[in-house]
Amino acid sequence: MIEPIVRIEGVRFRWPGQLHDLLHIPDLALHRGEHLFIQGPSGSGKTTLLNLLTGINLPTTGAITVLGTELTALSNSQRDQLRADYLGVIFQQFNLLPYLSLLENVQLPCEFSKLKKSKCGDVRTASKKLLSRLGLEESLLNQPVSNLSVGQQQRAAVARALIGSPEIVIADEPTSALDSRNRDRFLDLLFQETKEQNSTLIFVSHDKHIARQFEHVVQLDQVNTAGNDAS
Amino acid sequence: MMLFNIVLKSAWHRRTSLLLTICSIAISVCLLFGVDKLRKETKSSFINTISQTDLIVGARSGPINLLLYSVFRIGNATNNVSWDSYKHITSLSEVAWAIPISLGDSHRGYRVMGTDAGYFQHYKYGRGQPLEFDKGQPFADVYDAVLGADVARSLNYKLSDEIIISHGLASTKFSDHENKPFTIVGILARTGTPVDRTVHIALEGIEAVHVDWKGQGQLPLQLTAKQTRKINLQPKTITAFMIGLKNRINTFRLQRKITEFGKEPLLAIIPGATLADLWQSISVFEQILLAISGFVLVAGLMGMLTTLLSTLNERRREMAVLRSIGAHPYHIVLLFVFETLFVVFAGCIVGASLFYTLLFPAQLLLVETYGIHVAISPPDPSQWGLFAIVIFLGLIVSLIPGLIAYRRSLQDGLAIRV
Repeated sequence: MIEPIVRIEGVRFRWPGQLHDLLHIPDLALHRGEHLFIQGPSGSGKTTLLNLLTGINLPTTGAITVLGTELTALSNSQRDQLRADYLGVIFQQFNLLPYLSLLENVQLPCEFSKLKKSKCGDVRTASKKLLSRLGLEESLLNQPVSNLSVGQQQRAAVARALIGSPEIVIADEPTSALDSRNRDRFLDLLFQETKEQNSTLIFVSHDKHIARQFEHVVQLDQVNTAGNDAS
Repeated sequence: MMLFNIVLKSAWHRRTSLLLTICSIAISVCLLFGVDKLRKETKSSFINTISQTDLIVGARSGPINLLLYSVFRIGNATNNVSWDSYKHITSLSEVAWAIPISLGDSHRGYRVMGTDAGYFQHYKYGRGQPLEFDKGQPFADVYDAVLGADVARSLNYKLSDEIIISHGLASTKFSDHENKPFTIVGILARTGTPVDRTVHIALEGIEAVHVDWKGQGQLPLQLTAKQTRKINLQPKTITAFMIGLKNRINTFRLQRKITEFGKEPLLAIIPGATLADLWQSISVFEQILLAISGFVLVAGLMGMLTTLLSTLNERRREMAVLRSIGAHPYHIVLLFVFETLFVVFAGCIVGASLFYTLLFPAQLLLVETYGIHVAISPPDPSQWGLFAIVIFLGLIVSLIPGLIAYRRSLQDGLAIRV
């Protein structure tokens, strides 16, 4: 059997001093190239799960293995480096730093990761190529990001998540600011690009409508038994 | 390097508020420098009021009192020194030169000081500068007067004008020595010391205006200026005298000798030491000034802290984005530290430039109006020290938003709560 790229085993999470678990996921595994949709209403622990997967927080108990490495075994800064090297993250909104140009925003991850940088070859060329594939014209590259439309910003966010071909792309409600037409186009683009790079996609949203486009769907309120414990 | 680039671009993005912060820091730094400079220059100007005089001798009273009336023309002597004692002491082998001083009269609010030609030769101020004549020359005649720069300027006197000296310090018609006018023969260049506010005449002149006076009243028999010339104008007493020694090693020995002088109770002081004592007692003022400018600096830094904290919320997204692409939490702290250091450093540079820009016109103004010469010199060690303190305080202040952002970025992680 192939080693899963992400594996969650018996994970519980609560903030120090809290009485109840925010999150309890007994088991979850994801293989290379798979597209996972994590669906859950607000407050179902989506953000907590993302913070755990990206190594920003550590589970209270249990183990999360990313690319064969147990996160709890790493130091804080090793986890930060793991995130820098192997992960790409897309947010709901405000992905881009307003004081950098579009191109600088896309290049930014390579500044924090030598691995991504080396995979790019020339970072500037790679960024330009990626942006043009995502349909962002050359004339936009050196514009301040505030001049871009929301749709353009989200595509730029995809470019930044994909630069340096990370193993895992994590998207946190990236479509909630888009209308349905733009949303579908955005999803197509995301699938196409992650497939191109053979990246694993973890997509988190409350939006049930897009679930059918994913091969694996997890309902967080079903997987997460923390709520059941509490009641 | 990359982080520094982010800091610069991020700061440029928020340039308006940061520029204002730089301005407020700059003003604090400028004020701090200004007060520090003024403090030092006032002190050195004060300490340098008199120089190269080894001892000042007067009738026995307090040392500060003697210094005040002999050098600063403030207050009055309680008693006089007899001419015999003056002659006796100044003929001692240790003494190189002596300047007799006779005080008590005034001219339109300015003190009149009787002395002799040695004054223009031996009296030194500042770092050993001699008195210089702006116009004219020392007095030669009984009725000659030499004015200090302030006297000449504020009363609008020129050479060969005649002035009337008043008896005592009050200027009333009844106490004028009006039958014996003095002619201005010299005007001294500005010194920035009490010399500027003094009218100098010969000891014989003092004697001449008083021959027909007894105590506070005029005698019925009045002599004309001409008649007075025929009298022996050798003074019987003087107010005080200054001594320069052949060898300064003998200062303390001679001081003791004078204090133990048998014929008359005398007091000898070392001007430098007594000046330092006097400065000690009035230096509270300078401490207060320094404290005030310190507080202004704290206010400036507080303003900076407020600016940094107010942007903290809107910068939360920025932090989350940076964290998501692999920034360590210490990167977040460094972001604030670099930014603050940049602001404080820029504030220091702008403040120092402002200080030096203002110093040039201020220098002219201070020399013209107060005679205080403010040297324009590169920052001295204590001013570099001020720089260091400002930057160090800035660093401490920057840690507050830095650590708050650090804690939040640990808690927030990738969640951006807007």
